[in-house]
Amino acid sequence: MVEYRLDCLGEACPVPLLKTQKKMAELQVGDILVVEVDHSCAMKNVPEWARKEGYNVEIEETGDGEWDIYIEKTK
Amino acid sequence: MKKNAIDKEENVVETKTVVTNRAAVRPRKKRRNQLPFAIVVFLGVIYVAYLLAGKSAGLAISWIFGICFGVVLQKSRFCFTAGFRDPILTGSTSLTKAVIIAVAIATVGFGAVQYAAASKGGAIAGSISPAGWHVAIGSIMFGIGMVISGGCASGTLMRVGEGFVMQWITLFFFVLGTLWGVRHWAFWQRLFFDGAPRVHLPSVLGWPLAITLQLVVLGALYIVADKWGNRQKD
Amino acid sequence: MKLENNKYFKAVVKEAWPYTVGAVLLALLNISLFIVTGSAWGISGTLLNWGAKLYQAVGGQLQNWFYYSDPARLRALETPFFSHGGSLMNLGIIVGAFLASLAASQFKIRKIKSVRQVIAAIVGGLLMGYGTRVAFGCNIGAFFSGVASFSLHGWIYGIFIFVGAWIGSKLLVKYFM
Repeated sequence: MVEYRLDCLGEACPVPLLKTQKKMAELQVGDILVVEVDHSCAMKNVPEWARKEGYNVEIEETGDGEWDIYIEKTK
Repeated sequence: MKKNAIDKEENVVETKTVVTNRAAVRPRKKRRNQLPFAIVVFLGVIYVAYLLAGKSAGLAISWIFGICFGVVLQKSRFCFTAGFRDPILTGSTSLTKAVIIAVAIATVGFGAVQYAAASKGGAIAGSISPAGWHVAIGSIMFGIGMVISGGCASGTLMRVGEGFVMQWITLFFFVLGTLWGVRHWAFWQRLFFDGAPRVHLPSVLGWPLAITLQLVVLGALYIVADKWGNRQKD
Repeated sequence: MKLENNKYFKAVVKEAWPYTVGAVLLALLNISLFIVTGSAWGISGTLLNWGAKLYQAVGGQLQNWFYYSDPARLRALETPFFSHGGSLMNLGIIVGAFLASLAASQFKIRKIKSVRQVIAAIVGGLLMGYGTRVAFGCNIGAFFSGVASFSLHGWIYGIFIFVGAWIGSKLLVKYFM
């Protein structure tokens, strides 16, 4: 199981989600992607997409207006 | 040929170790509790409202409504841009559906207000402007602009308040853009505005048909959006 | 008991609200605004007001402009900012968003990451601004309030803003990512 970090700090909407979608497609089942965002929309639309895909999602606030979104590729 | 930034993968760091303690991966940032600042700003908002009310109730009302719009937009991360962009770009229609809900509820409320005024013989108020090809051209321009800049009119103002420097720039050029637009007013008026009528649907179709039709269409759009958003699951 | 651990504080102040809640509240606010002031919510008209005032402030003469040959339009610019309802409303939106993010301790100055973002902001802003003048409004004034007002122009706006969003998406992915 490999953990990858995707730095999306400073990206405008909807770049974090687009980059996440692309990266998740490359992961193996069991891998985890940690997406770093500071966009208030991204902390909503990235987890929403990931959950819809059936992945496990955890979100952690890591700073003022900054979040780490943990996505586990479960299938 | 210009390479797409994603392919460069410059932002992805691979850590091949299995992570057992997440807190150890990234040094914890010093978190500031901003609530005290929020309280100060809140008191400031009240104070400004008080000052404005001294001049005119209408001004205080505009201020408070603005504050409310800003709070709601930010808290719910409401983004009209995403509503129009995401069905194609990311496959999500959650904001599309939210926008439809907002428009549908407003339809009922606005309809009631207009109907009440009309049945007393009064004028019909609201945002009713000339309908014609200029609307298509202008909204296409707006649509392109909002997606490129990452926010529509409400979204830009909201993000200005959230601290997005990119939207500070966007707002400035949005303002310049409006000025540029009216610079060419004669051109657009001669070509489009002069021949374009203001069309108030209930005045043309009658109230029952107009309201029913609008709500039915919005309902149908909601169902389509819902189906579209779910089909990506397979 | 710590305020931050209170579940109501968390749900209302700290956490993001569902989109549907936002939709309902925005609609109710717009309706209330319409009832109380007789005018629906709009944003871009005020932005033009700001632009015109800015132009005058740097010495520009608007009297020669065809648009401002209408004396009422020129007179409308004489209202000072803090006596202008639209300006107070737009400023209120900015302050409201500022307040909401502060209360959740989520305010952060998000700096520019690349030149591409600057270009996108400039081009996007200009397109939006110009487009609102041609189409008689923005996503709020022309679309949200327009459709709610049963105006045909609102529906046309809603259909073609989709087209614009589609074009914008293609440009975004190709040039601005």
